[in-house]
Formats: sequence, C-alpha cells, structure tokens
Amino acid sequence: MPAETSIAPLGLETIPDEPATSLWRDAWRRLRANKLAVAGLVVIVLLALTAIFGPYFTPYDFLSQDLAHRNMGPTLAHWLGTDDLGRDVLSRIIYGARTAFIVAIVVTAIAVAIGVAVGAVAGFAGGWFDRIVMWLTDVTMSVPNLLLVIVINTSLKPPLAAWMDAEYQATLNPVFRNTVWIDFILVFGSMALITWPPYARLVRAQVMSVRSRPYVMAARALGLPAGTVLRRYVIPNALGPLIVAVSAGLGTAMVLESAFSFLGVGVNPPTPSWGNMIQDGLQVWQHYPHLLAAPAAVLAIATVAFSFLGDGLNDALNPRGAK
Amino acid sequence: MTLADPVAARSTRAETAERVLDVTGLSVDIETRHGPARIIDNISLHVGKGETLGVVGESGCGKSLTMLSLVGLLPNKIAVSGGRAEFAGEDLLRLGRKALRRIRGGRIGFVFQDPMTSLNPVMRIGDQIAEPLIYHRGMSRTDARKRGAELLRLVGIPSPEERLEAFPHELSGGMRQRVMIAIGLACDPELLIADEPTTALDVTIQAQIVDLVKELRQRLGMSIVWITHDLALIAGLVDRVVVLYAGTVVEDAPVDDLYAHPLHPYTRGLLASIPKLTDAAASRLSSIGGTPPEPGRRPKGCPFAPRCPLAMPICEAQVPALEAAGGERHRVACFAVDKEKRAAA
Amino acid sequence: MFRYVVSRLALWIPSVLLVLVGVYALAFYGAGDPIKLIFMHAPGDVAYDPARIEAIRHSAGLDRPFIVQFGSYLWNLLHGNFGNSLNSGRSVWSMISAAAPVSFALAVWALVVTAVTAVPLGMIAALNQNKRLDYIILGTALFLWAIPPYVAGPLLMVAIITLVPHASVPYGWGGAFDVKIILPLLVLALQPIALIVRQTRAAVIEVLSEDFVRTARAKGVPELIVSIKHILRPVLTPIVTQLGLIMITIVNGAIFVELVFGLPGLGRLTITALTNSDYPVILAITLIGSFLVMISNLLVDVLYPLLDPRAAQNQNAR
Repeated sequence: MPAETSIAPLGLETIPDEPATSLWRDAWRRLRANKLAVAGLVVIVLLALTAIFGPYFTPYDFLSQDLAHRNMGPTLAHWLGTDDLGRDVLSRIIYGARTAFIVAIVVTAIAVAIGVAVGAVAGFAGGWFDRIVMWLTDVTMSVPNLLLVIVINTSLKPPLAAWMDAEYQATLNPVFRNTVWIDFILVFGSMALITWPPYARLVRAQVMSVRSRPYVMAARALGLPAGTVLRRYVIPNALGPLIVAVSAGLGTAMVLESAFSFLGVGVNPPTPSWGNMIQDGLQVWQHYPHLLAAPAAVLAIATVAFSFLGDGLNDALNPRGAK
Repeated sequence: MTLADPVAARSTRAETAERVLDVTGLSVDIETRHGPARIIDNISLHVGKGETLGVVGESGCGKSLTMLSLVGLLPNKIAVSGGRAEFAGEDLLRLGRKALRRIRGGRIGFVFQDPMTSLNPVMRIGDQIAEPLIYHRGMSRTDARKRGAELLRLVGIPSPEERLEAFPHELSGGMRQRVMIAIGLACDPELLIADEPTTALDVTIQAQIVDLVKELRQRLGMSIVWITHDLALIAGLVDRVVVLYAGTVVEDAPVDDLYAHPLHPYTRGLLASIPKLTDAAASRLSSIGGTPPEPGRRPKGCPFAPRCPLAMPICEAQVPALEAAGGERHRVACFAVDKEKRAAA
Repeated sequence: MFRYVVSRLALWIPSVLLVLVGVYALAFYGAGDPIKLIFMHAPGDVAYDPARIEAIRHSAGLDRPFIVQFGSYLWNLLHGNFGNSLNSGRSVWSMISAAAPVSFALAVWALVVTAVTAVPLGMIAALNQNKRLDYIILGTALFLWAIPPYVAGPLLMVAIITLVPHASVPYGWGGAFDVKIILPLLVLALQPIALIVRQTRAAVIEVLSEDFVRTARAKGVPELIVSIKHILRPVLTPIVTQLGLIMITIVNGAIFVELVFGLPGLGRLTITALTNSDYPVILAITLIGSFLVMISNLLVDVLYPLLDPRAAQNQNAR
C-alpha cells in the first residue's frame, strides 16, 4: 500500500506566484483597475483642491459687482461670463465648490458620528433598545427627506432666531448677532438629522453580525469591557461598508445642499452655492443659458464623480466572484 | 416505456458493444488571466446501452465538467477545446444550440447534487416537472401535470397530486431529490446523468435514493452515468467505473475488477483510504499525501507523478496512455503498471 | 394570511402616528402659532399688543395644551379638514385637491415608465455582464442617478433649445395625456430608472449563478423562457421591495420637476407655501408625502409573501 510521500513539484509549468497582500492593498488594486472609479477619484480630488485653494486664486472676488458688464457670456476677461450683478461666474463657481465641500463634509461627519454611535450601541445592546431605535430610523426614513428638511427648517428658524436674539440681549456678544450662523446651524442640523439613519442601520447590521463571532465572545469572556470590545473588535470590521456609505453619502449631501439652496432653505445669498446659482440661472436661462449651464454642469460632474467612486469602492471592498 | 428485460440487456452489452455515449479525446480549457489552462485533458469514456457507469474522482478533478461539456452547459470562461462525443449517431460537441437544447432534458436527463438550490424556489413542483414535458413532448399543461403525478408516484412520493402544488422548501431533502430524479426521467431519456445526487443528503436518505435508482433502472432500463467522489457508495450500484484524476482518466474497469485488482496507484490509494469495519481500532486512516494540481500548473508528464510512490523518471516526462492491462476491459494509464506487466511477462 | 396583514397593520399604525406627532410637534413648538405669525409677518403694521394676541389666541383655542390641540388636529384630519392656508385663507384641502391630480398623474406615469424601461434594461445589462453593452447601460445608470432632477431638467431644456432651434419649451400643464408632459415625466423618471436598472442588474447577476437556472437549462427549456420564468421571476421580489424608496425619490423629484416645468402640482404648492411660511399647507403636504411612502411600504410588506413563497412559509411558522 502506498506510503505517504512528500510533494516533489518537478517539471511544473511556471505561473508566477501571487504575492501575499493585505485586504486594503487588495481593495486598492481592484479600485485602481476600475477606470470609472479612478476618474471619479481624480475629479473629486481636483474639486477638493479647488475648494481649498481656489478662492485664493480667483480672478475676482465673488462679491465684487461690475454693473457695467452684466450677464455677459464667456469672454477672455471672464471665462464663464458674468451674472446679473456683474459678478464673475467662474469665481462664484470656485467659491461654490468650497461651500459644497464644507457642507458635505460637516453634515456627513455629524451624521456618521450620530449614526455610528446609535447603530453600534443598538446592535451591541440588542433587546428593546435596539427595536425602538430601529423603529425610529425606519420612520425617519419614511418621510421624504426634502419635505422633512423643509418642515424642520421652517419650524425651527423663528425660535432659533428668537433665542439668538434673547442671548444677544443678555450677553451683548456679537456672535449672536450674525444671522449667517443661524443658516448654517439649520442647514447642517436638518441635513444631519435626515442623513444619519442609513449609517445607523449599516453599523448596527455589522455590529450584530460581528458580535456573535467567536473572537468577540472570546474577548468578552476574557472580561474586556464592552466599550473596548466595541472599539477594537467590532467597529474595525464595519469599516468596509462604512467607507462605501460615506463616499456615497458625501455625494448625496452635496446634492442635498444644492437642492436646499435651490429651494431657498439652504445657504443664503450672497454666499455662492451651486444650488442657488442654478436657481438664479433658472429665471433667465432662456436669455443667458451660461448662467444655468455652468453651475448645473459642475454640480453634475461632481455628483457623478462621487457616484462612480462610491460604486468602485463598493466593488473593491466587497468583491463578488466575477463569472 | 420498458425495454425487454434490462438485466439481460446489460449482460449482453459486452458482446453487442452498443454504446449510448462514446466520448473520445475530450479536452476542456478554462480562461485564466495568463491564458487558457487545460482542466480536462484527452478524456475517453463510453456508456453502453442499459449500463451504469460510475465516474469517480476527488473534488475538482473535472468529473462534473466532463458531463456538462457534453450538452453545452459549461459555465462562462470554460470551453471545449477538442474531442468527440457520439450520442445517438451525432457528435454532441458539434451540434448547434437548438439541437443541443432538444437533447438536454429530452434524451439526456440530469440529476444535480443539491436539490434545495437546484429547484426554482418560486415555482411549484408540478410546474417544474411539467416544463420538460411541455417543451420536449409538446404536452398540454393538463397532460403534463397528469404525467407529473405519475412520475412522482414512480419515484416514491406519497400523495403525488397534492405534492404538485407544493413549493420546494415545503419538501424534505430526500423528497426534493426524488423530485429531481422525476424531472430527469420525465421524457424517458436514453441516458441519465446523475451528478453526485446523494452527496448533499443524510446517509440514511442516501441509501433510499440509491435503492430508488436501482429500482428505476430495473423498470426503465436507461443508461446511467453516476458521478461521485465516494468509491464505497457505488460498489453495489454501477457496472463499470472510470477513475478521473486532474482531468484525465487514470483507470477504467468493471466494478468488481476495480475493487479486486486496482492497478493505478491513485485508485489503490483511494481504496485504501476507505475506512473499513475490519480495520484495527486504533489504526490511522491512510491518505494520499499532497493535493491535485491547479488548472494552470499541470505537470508535464503524468499528473499524479508528484504524489505517486511509484514515480519513475519517465512519469515526469511523458503522459501515460490509457491501455489495457490485466484483462481486456480493464484499462489503466500508468507506466509503473506497464513495467510490472512487462516484468511479469 | 389575514393574521399576517393584521399584524403588519398593527406595527404600521404607530409609525404613522409617530410621524404625525413628530411633524405636528415641530410645527407647534416651532413657529406654528398662526396668530403670532400674522403679527410677525407684518411687524410694522399692527401694534404688537401681547394682551390682544392672547385674547385672539384664546378665542381661537390656541392656548390649549399640546395634546388637546393635536387631538383636535387629528380629529379634523380624519374628516379631511387640514385647516386653512395662512396666506390665502382658503381651505388647505381645496388647495391640495386641486393640485393633487397633477402630481398623481405625473407620479403614475413615472412609475410606469420606470417599470417598463428599467427592468428590461437591467436584465440586458446583467446578461451581457462585463461586455460593452453592460458598461454602457451601467455607466448611464450611474450617471443618471447622480444627477438630480433640478439639474437634469434645466440641462435638458438648454439642450433642446440649442439643438432644436424652433422647439418651444414645454412649460405648463396640459393634462395627463398632453405632449407637454413628456419631458417633465422623463426628467422625473430618470433617477428611479437609474436605481431600478442597478438593482435589477445586481439581482439578475446573482440569480444567473444559481443552480436552478442550470437545472432549467438542463431540462432543455428554451432560453427565453429561462430568462422570464427562472431568472426574472425571482428577481422581481427584491425589486418590488424598493417601492418605498422609489416613492421617496419621486416625491422629492416632483417638487423640482413641477417647479422647473411650471406644473401646478403639490410640489409647486410646497414651494409656494415654503416661501410664504404657510405652515398648515407645509404640514399637510408633508403628512401626505409620508403617508404615501408608508402605504407603499405596507403594501410591499403585505404582498411580499405572495411574491416569495419562502417568506410565506416563515409567516405561517410563527
């Protein structure tokens, strides 16, 4: 009967061995291979750089009006033309990028913070707390987000204004005088309030699937406090889907911000936002199409880039066997 | 439809050598990042009329793919690259899609491994059985359902009329597999290909299914190809065995002959690794060291050489041909066996 | 089955109540006091006399506790009384019932167009996975999903004007079957189509690798039948569950589409109410929108076991 033998790999056709990689490097490799995603990433980086550094290089201040040259089409002096107050469209678009990114990042950051906290605790604790939280997120997600933001915004604006007024009377601190703060708090607040539920659900699902895994049970059996277990074991495993959600969420937040500016519940003039530029352009586009086309095109490019990147990240981090 | 006594038919097939399926030189490649890699290399096998052929090998040796390639059911990236497969006077590998579709289910029936995933979960059993009848026999839906009930009864499912309305998840594993068999036999195929039909079932259910197949074979007389990795299972079931390794045939013999006189080192290793009641209580299970080669890394010579205790220099240089040894109908592909034969001569 | 529907309803009603309470509370504790509003709107016109305000509020029952006011609001709601517009004084109900048919027609058309185009496109993409056709369809879908209707609408209008010099821009409402509805309807449907195409494609790709598709082919079933009965049918289930999400997309999108194309529907009503801080109208429309979404979810919940028999068994096993 044949005895055990060792493998002697003689005469094998050589196919190069794949080098060992980590999960992240693997994902990065897949992402790089996805041309659409790479294009999206490049666009986003360019836009981000524009948002950060652009305003220092704008040919004109976005506020400066030149009433002698209103509503001009693209010229050498004004690459994208001017608007009805003679302001340079290109500069406003560049500054609008800054608005878009600030809002998107802040809102997403708040939403993720709330969502991760709520979702992690809900998933870990389980029981009735979890069920109530899930019920709340379900209901929040059932209200069409635009309407909800409109309601929140219009409801809370007067009391907030009144409160700030009262504070100013009490403390005479000029901070409370600045109404722009109200706008930003309302915009950020209401947008964060409607965007946190998906993160909560995602984290909760991840937490629930991870917490029953043997290595987590082992950690708890060792007596590690729940918070540590959450932090070191559970949350790192949820990172993959979270990253995908965040990149998609940034795009959504950007769209939401411009939607609200468009509707007049977002950032108010004269702060430029692509949304209110579109709104302005919509009034007069039949005569001056460039006023509409410029911000619309830029917004479209930005959101498409986020969309491609998000999809690419999804494929990279959650590969399914390609058949 | 019943043939004249199938037992007698089986015993005369050796003389008549009437073959239902005759495969020669079949090769199949898979697309990899580095180009096509061969996964099935020059396989030849045949099934006589009314005969049951066992195709044995470990996971990944290509036994399922061999059969799937005959009827055009290969997955993406895998394609036939050579060979001939004679069935009912035609070469299956050269038939067009429409012709192949008519043969699939109509003249060659399939039974797959996992009945839970192989049945459509949102379609009723009756509709699933009726499908081949409607498309191959042109039956109306009512006739097809009547025949479906007959088939269910044939495979031993109680209250067949009620079962027709059921969904797959409402049946037990054994019953689902019986339904698969019924579907495979629906159009009275000349050849039934069973791809590991009992692997996903409990041991007791396995025995029931094997008995069922034996009984059906008795009554209907079709040829069967039974694919499995379990040598012990097929002992009482098949007439002949083909042993596959890494996509090639290494041994081909009548079942009793194979068990009594296994010639290829791989077959011998397989048989030795079956735990027997007569083994000493504390003896180690013997196993064959190493693993089969990956698709792109086939050895130049005999694919088993890297793991073979009898390996000689020629084994790594050339692929041994499948030749008769130890009896007309017992063929083996091994240089070591030839050497023994020549030494004995 | 009846028990299942009842249990679903039992879970659903508290959700609706929660939305009602939540939205009403926001308006109530926010700036929802109509009398104060009247005075706030015209601070210089009328003498801001707290005592007089209190008297008016008391006579209008606005100083009653929250619960009581909410209760009376609910009661009125059930009788179809949404209160009166702060702006025009007309009953909110009359404003809504005038605008609703427009939005309703738009939404129905959008749903139909989505179902008819998106599902086949998704399937075609999946069946040609990783080939050029797939990339074209998938890329377009990703593209369309990212473009909100208030961007797509204007862009398309600009495109039409520049490419077709004498075309008149579709603006205004001409009825549910008028040609002017085509462009707004397309713009509204773009995002739902993108969503469903991706969902369908992903679902079909998963189903394609299922064993039972192989079984169907092994039975010799014609490929077209395999596509419809064995691939499409199981795929419909996850797609239908997206109905709630589609409704949200449509409700959101309708606001913009109606604004951009000048359609006198609920969306435009919302915008007007927003500009005028007309709370009863905003409240009413929000409730209607939420209700629509929640009804869709309930419908999907109830219909799900019919679509997927495995889920039905889980229900009965409870």
